[in-house]
Amino acid sequence: MQFLENIRLAFTSVLANKMRALLTMLGIIIGISAVITITTIGSSIQKTLTNTFNSLGSANYFDVYSQINYEYVEDVYSFTYKEEDMLSREMLNELVETYPDYFSLDLTDGFGSSELRNWKDQSVKVAVTGIIGNVNNSGLKLLAGRDINYQDNINHKHTIVVSDLFVSQYFPPDTNPLGQTITLELEKTGQTEDFVIVGVFELPSLYSKYAYEPGMKDIDKVTFVYVPLDTMNNLLHQENSYYGYADIYYNTDYDIDMLQNILQEFFTEQYEKAEKPYMTVYIENMQKQMGMINSVISVITIAISVIAAISLIVGGVGVMNIMLVSITERTKEIGIRKALGAQNSSIRMQFVIEAILICLIGGIIGIIIGLLNGLSIGLIAKTAITNIYPEYADLFTITIQPSVPAIIISVAFSVMTGVFFGYYPANKAAKMNPIDALRYD
Amino acid sequence: MSRTVISMKNIIKRYYIGKPNELQILNGISLDVHEGEFVSIVGQSGSGKSTLMNIIGALDRPTEGSYLLNGIDISTLDDAELSRIRNQEIGFVFQTFNLISRTDAVRNVEMPMMYAGVPRKQRLKRAMELLEIVGMSDRASHQPNELSGGQKQRIAIARAMANKPSILLADEPTGALDSRTGRMIMDLFHKLHKEEGTTIVLITHSPELAEETQRIVTISDGSIIADTGVRDNAVS
Repeated sequence: MQFLENIRLAFTSVLANKMRALLTMLGIIIGISAVITITTIGSSIQKTLTNTFNSLGSANYFDVYSQINYEYVEDVYSFTYKEEDMLSREMLNELVETYPDYFSLDLTDGFGSSELRNWKDQSVKVAVTGIIGNVNNSGLKLLAGRDINYQDNINHKHTIVVSDLFVSQYFPPDTNPLGQTITLELEKTGQTEDFVIVGVFELPSLYSKYAYEPGMKDIDKVTFVYVPLDTMNNLLHQENSYYGYADIYYNTDYDIDMLQNILQEFFTEQYEKAEKPYMTVYIENMQKQMGMINSVISVITIAISVIAAISLIVGGVGVMNIMLVSITERTKEIGIRKALGAQNSSIRMQFVIEAILICLIGGIIGIIIGLLNGLSIGLIAKTAITNIYPEYADLFTITIQPSVPAIIISVAFSVMTGVFFGYYPANKAAKMNPIDALRYD
Repeated sequence: MSRTVISMKNIIKRYYIGKPNELQILNGISLDVHEGEFVSIVGQSGSGKSTLMNIIGALDRPTEGSYLLNGIDISTLDDAELSRIRNQEIGFVFQTFNLISRTDAVRNVEMPMMYAGVPRKQRLKRAMELLEIVGMSDRASHQPNELSGGQKQRIAIARAMANKPSILLADEPTGALDSRTGRMIMDLFHKLHKEEGTTIVLITHSPELAEETQRIVTISDGSIIADTGVRDNAVS
């Protein structure tokens, strides 16, 4: 009851001295808006990086590199290793067979191009890529049918996934491409093989934009087709293949550190079994690296915010100063209230609430200004990138993301500033002697 | 005999202005005021009547002596309890009205009830009744700076009556008013005394005003030099 009355009173008193209240708030406004501007920029950079990164394809994989075991090899400078020492298909196959729930492979290999004749007898060229894993791991979206899967590879199936552009190039309009057979001529040997279309992916607009020259006719555009890697290896009689590095996708349901340990142990063991203790693997993970970049940005943001928050102390002292002036001005009022039976605690609450209100309004104005700052800086950055590097404009979708925790903390901090710097003047008011206060002019 | 509201025994008030200089303002005042009395306390300035008023109004504690207000010993109470006594038992009317600025008439009247924790609706109702009694109900939403002195004083009287106090303590209530408005305020006190049975203590330096009351207590140099007792021939 009295609390609400005090809020009303505080509003009346702030409104009665608008200019003074605004000047008092200025310190708080500057402090809070600086903090919000910085945190908005920080979290926008993080969000933009994450978005850009995610748009480039799934990040849920480990890059596994084969490399010399520096702990084992003494003379690292003169030591060289052979192709057979790198990651073999056998090893990789064993990995996914041992841990089918954790890992899946993502290997690709180019097999040159192949020319086909379409229904109008025009030439259509495709680039043949062998794949283990999913096309959508490379950031491609399936429009129809299914992906090339592990079974296709094991069983050396003649399956193929083509682009939507290829469908329009090759087939008459309104043909369902799924289940249709196309014949490819393998560049290496010249042999021809039939493949059944099992899926169609969408050619990404970014890819179309950068891969083809402007004005190129659709019919002349070469697109990728995906076939099982092992089918190709089998057709070309390539028994085993070796990789300097492999992308190994993981199941995100499991802990990433645990999975990385399993990988490291698995390959170390494999090399031991193969009696190649001089080899090991080095594992990298983009998600983890992103996390590190993000935490660096967070630390920088927090550090700068703390510096900006120092101005809040200056603002708080301003509030305290003006509250002291205010209670001196209103000594008589305090005396009257005491004569009418106001308890010391009521008077104290009245002035603390007034200080909180000043700080809170200042804080809210600061948050709004900070958000506007963040927004305009984001827009400026966007315009700058679009104008200076138009070719990257699509790649960097600048996302302006205000930091919600920072806003909540700012509001709480404003209230705390009000309590902290308002308490001393309020207490001084509360302890006034009513007789002296009444006599004050 | 009606109930005793104020019972003062040998009240002494000293101020200490530095160690050796002590200033004794009241030299053993003994005074009883009964329920329903209209008493005036008269004295020249410097006679100690303001100090006496502060003690009666529970704004200050006596240095020595006992003061029972409605049977409660004021001299032993702490600040919070004194606040409660001022809120519940005393209604102040000041020479300079002392309304809270930027706060309309009805909220000024509500203020003592707010500090007493009376619910909003109830105190609004009571405030309007009081404004009716003092003839100011049409000015309820006016701010103090929109009112004349007499109007302000009537609102101050309504405010003083808010919590139905045991005594109405008026300190030179007509001092800042012209004689015609002063007359109206005095008439209002007489009306409250007669119709509501309010106990009124009027502090004044003016013998003419004092003459209107039932009982005149005269103070000089911190002592009571005359007390007429309750008279029937008071002018009204």
